[in-house]
Amino acid sequence: MNEFILEEYHAQLPVFRRLESVVLSTLQNALERNDLLVTAVSTRIKTAESLAGKLALKGDKYHALNDITDILGARIITFYTDDVDRIAAMAEQLFDIDWQNSVDKRTLHQIDSFGYNSLHYVCRLPKSIIDDPQCPQLNEIRFELQLRTTLQHAWASINHDIGYKSGVEIPQEYLRRINRLAGILEMADDEFSRIRIEISDYRRRVHQLVQNGKLDDVQLNGDTFHSYLEVRPFDTLNRRIAAINQAEIREVPLDIYLRVFLALGCKTLGDVEKLKKSCAYDAYTLARHQLGNTGLDILSSSVGVQNICIVWILQQGGGKIGLTRLFNAINGDNDQNALLAEITYEQACNLPFMKKS
Amino acid sequence: MKTEIVESGNQLIARFSGRLDTLAAVQTAEDVKPLLSASNKDIILDCTELEYISSSGLRIFLSIRKEAAAHGCKVIVRNISNDIRQVFMMTGFISLFVIE
Repeated sequence: MNEFILEEYHAQLPVFRRLESVVLSTLQNALERNDLLVTAVSTRIKTAESLAGKLALKGDKYHALNDITDILGARIITFYTDDVDRIAAMAEQLFDIDWQNSVDKRTLHQIDSFGYNSLHYVCRLPKSIIDDPQCPQLNEIRFELQLRTTLQHAWASINHDIGYKSGVEIPQEYLRRINRLAGILEMADDEFSRIRIEISDYRRRVHQLVQNGKLDDVQLNGDTFHSYLEVRPFDTLNRRIAAINQAEIREVPLDIYLRVFLALGCKTLGDVEKLKKSCAYDAYTLARHQLGNTGLDILSSSVGVQNICIVWILQQGGGKIGLTRLFNAINGDNDQNALLAEITYEQACNLPFMKKS
Repeated sequence: MKTEIVESGNQLIARFSGRLDTLAAVQTAEDVKPLLSASNKDIILDCTELEYISSSGLRIFLSIRKEAAAHGCKVIVRNISNDIRQVFMMTGFISLFVIE
């Protein structure tokens, strides 16, 4: 019987290869469509040696090649446990699932046992994915889809490696230690998922606060500043400055101003907003003074925030040293920044806001 | 306005001399075309003899930078006069370029 199955295997290999290619591209396209980032997507066809080994072990169970559901195996390794369920839902929509032979190993453990965790679906390709009358087997052959997290995969791989390499029966004590690790990794997986959910909640809350203008409650950091920039807080000033010479505005990243605002002592987005409001008029005056008789009709979207920072530093008495620090922060440390600071200082020193300070 | 492009090791050096104003920008845009297709080379915009740059000139520098970034190349603006430095600063473009 086993020889017959192996012969059938060799005869069907070209079909399996075609099936493998369709399954892989179907999974990759669906993950991309659903915006699901994963660690790895892979497929493999069981080798003749591995199949022979399986038949030698469990030969009585199989009467034909079609009884074996993992000749073609696909595996998706996710970052988070929640993604296993999202991808499972995706697979249920893509493929015909053989529920009788599919198993969620994650739910099989007793409350006091830990070990292999993975979701195994036995699937077939529906005709909506491929329909080739010359090769109906493409819709008949079952394949196995394994879904697991990166940590589950690490545990399974190491467990497999230890089991195979030892060559002798592993004492209970070591098995217990390996399984204890499975418990720790399960906790780590849950914690990673929880952290991701909490970070998403935090981002949503921050975004909401930014949208509602409750900026005093939002601590200034990379995440919150990014949300703040999404509401385009410097656009009004930029448009006003652009109107001086009817200039076009080219978008440039403003993230580098986070460290400038932090260095200027801002602790919340409210501080940034106050600084902006208190300096916006003088920032415009500075721009008008600089650009007014130049005819320069192209500006970067950083012009407004740059001038706000310049004005604030000068109003606080930071002088040329303060401006040099500003230019070091936005242009990178450079000998030329001191010169730039001097030019800017000279330009600004006769403006009304300098007289006030 | 004159633009000269020379290759030196892993660098493409464009030497500008004269006034890069609106009129000169048309020819300069043609002259710098070899820079736009450069890959795996740093691009040096040598401004030692550049006396003036207008918005049209800035647009040329920005297009060189955009193409260079797409090809993984770095753009370095070298030896700009104080007036031109001021133009880069006033327009907010100074942080986009490495200026030496």
